[in-house]
Amino acid sequence: MTIVRAPLVFVMLFVAVSGCDEGPRNAQPAVEGNPQAGAAAIASYGCGTCHMIPGIPGADATAGPPLGNYARRVYVAGVLPNTPDDLVRWIRHPQEVDPRTAMPELGVTEEEARDIAAYLYTRTGGRW
Amino acid sequence: MVTRIVSTLLVLTILSLVGAAVYVYSGVYDVAATRQHTPPVYWLLQTALRRSIAVRARDIETPDLSGPDRFRSGMRLYRERCAQCHGAPGVAPDRFSLGMTPVPPPIMQAGREMSPAEIFWTVKHGLKMTGMPGWDFKLTDEEIWDIVAFSIAVPNLSPAQYYELAGIEQNPPEPTQAEGADQASGDAEAGRVALLQYGCIACHTIDGVTGPDAWVGPPLRRMRERKYIAGVLPNSRENLIRWIRDPQGVDPLTAMPQLGVTEKHARDIAAYLYSLDDAGREMR
Repeated sequence: MTIVRAPLVFVMLFVAVSGCDEGPRNAQPAVEGNPQAGAAAIASYGCGTCHMIPGIPGADATAGPPLGNYARRVYVAGVLPNTPDDLVRWIRHPQEVDPRTAMPELGVTEEEARDIAAYLYTRTGGRW
Repeated sequence: MVTRIVSTLLVLTILSLVGAAVYVYSGVYDVAATRQHTPPVYWLLQTALRRSIAVRARDIETPDLSGPDRFRSGMRLYRERCAQCHGAPGVAPDRFSLGMTPVPPPIMQAGREMSPAEIFWTVKHGLKMTGMPGWDFKLTDEEIWDIVAFSIAVPNLSPAQYYELAGIEQNPPEPTQAEGADQASGDAEAGRVALLQYGCIACHTIDGVTGPDAWVGPPLRRMRERKYIAGVLPNSRENLIRWIRDPQGVDPLTAMPQLGVTEKHARDIAAYLYSLDDAGREMR
């Protein structure tokens, strides 16, 4: 029976091994914020009228870029490194960072921006 | 019973070996770098590569990589030997490397997602059949660790900060001249190939184009519906072409480098991106 089982073990091993996915390890974004409060802030500021955001009902717009899988993004808006502090800075004052951006200043507070960042970093996987 | 199973397995094994041999010798698989891999082959190669690196890097001990000296030395070495293929924030790789398959990963993503030990092992030993040379005989281990230190730090820099540290004058080359006027709509199929040949897939995940799981730039999907390009230009065919050819002329802060895309190729790329429907399929 061993001869029959050997390929099966190999297949199982292969599946197990290929299941481990890569992801950010060095610059794992860690942000002190509350993802649930972030989801609520995203809804109340209407981020979904411009962005597609996974897990936010109705957030399916394409004016700005899609915000899925944000933990793996290397840059915020193509201009800042994707670190928690820089993402918070961008959410609060996009036009200070890049005067050319179409993203408006929305008066988001520091705490709300941290919560929003925390939410975005929890939504991993998928292509968006 | 056991004999029957054994003989069935034997026949199946022989058949699959014969099948594999026919497949290989017939030359069916296209190795042209201008033709993308089929997704299963790409997946197989990438997974084998990733696993091989991970297993071999497991027992490497990482020294202290902090401190400005390591970073500075690493940046110097990186710019001399690595940036030609792997680029830097806002800086394109050299022209020759743009059509490589597999496309050399941008350091900004590799530095975020590979462990220091994995980067060390990869630089030291190189990777078969990828174009990545081993540096073992050309650099000392300490120098390789300096490159690792730079690689894991550089994803935390904005392009502007990087230019300053590297002492680079940000001076985007003039876009090449338009080649005739007969390019109203562009050729979507040629655009798909251009996305490989200009290395776009190194940074963007693009529907219908097989490439790495790249997250340096945004995924290029549903481009027909976007209101803005790169958050700064209203979305129109002409603006998309302008952005592809001269991103830093449009927004000096952007991490997207000047790639020397010709007018025709930019038009073809735009035609391809606009040809995709919501589900990422090409519309005819």
